[in-house]
Amino acid sequence: MFTRWSDIDRMFGVMDLMRGNFDRLSNEFYRSRGNTSSWVLSDGIPRTNLYDKGDSFAICAEVPGFAKEDLNIRLQGNYLEISGKRKSDLPEGYSIHRSERGTFDFSRSMTLPTEVDSSKVEAALKDGILTLTLPKAEAAKPKLISVN
Amino acid sequence: MSENKNIMKREDENMENTHELPSIRPMVDIFENDGEILLYTDMPGVVKKDININMDNGKLYLSGVRRMEKSGATTWEEFGDVEYTRTFSVPQSIDIAKVSAELTDGVLKLHLPKSEAAKPRRIEIKSA
Repeated sequence: MFTRWSDIDRMFGVMDLMRGNFDRLSNEFYRSRGNTSSWVLSDGIPRTNLYDKGDSFAICAEVPGFAKEDLNIRLQGNYLEISGKRKSDLPEGYSIHRSERGTFDFSRSMTLPTEVDSSKVEAALKDGILTLTLPKAEAAKPKLISVN
Repeated sequence: MSENKNIMKREDENMENTHELPSIRPMVDIFENDGEILLYTDMPGVVKKDININMDNGKLYLSGVRRMEKSGATTWEEFGDVEYTRTFSVPQSIDIAKVSAELTDGVLKLHLPKSEAAKPRRIEIKSA
């Protein structure tokens, strides 16, 4: 009787081991498929994040290798357009073995959820990440309503 | 029966599933001239202290971890914390002691100088 129990135990042990191996396999699969190796999305635009901070919006975009002068940001009402051109940073006198990064030309536009105060927009570029801070227009800011 | 047997193994005994960052293979450009091999990699958002460059046994391991600061509610998010990692084979002729790296605007530039013996040499022909 007891030997039977240990048999079952061993069988489950083997099943656990196999499940662990399959988990690892599928993890590897999704890790390699889920993220493309490039920093741009498939249609050639950089990835962005948009956060709502209550009084303002924060937009982050991945723009590695872009200098300040290479980026253009235009704002019209709640329509925002970020465009840029990365110059080739090919050093002089070198032969090319592999070229995956290349030069890059992009334009991405988005509609912000509310109107923003275009005179107070700030943009910062650090370590290849562009961060825009866009304060909301007065009418769109959250308001505290007191109960009389 | 006094002996209790667990039919299923307990999950928390499985220590190998720790939280893992998604990993991305960064894009690279590789250039070469007579003196060195030059490698450019895009690693947006990675700061200097989070970059690891290891050379071991003819292999070059690059790794950079990005940790994003988050504030406010997320409306949309297309990128986040990530580990950029990629491995290269490097020729034996690289002078490991002189390898240098710089990080500008999210681009890592790695200089791999060739050792003296591997540099091309012009051979003069002596008149007999």
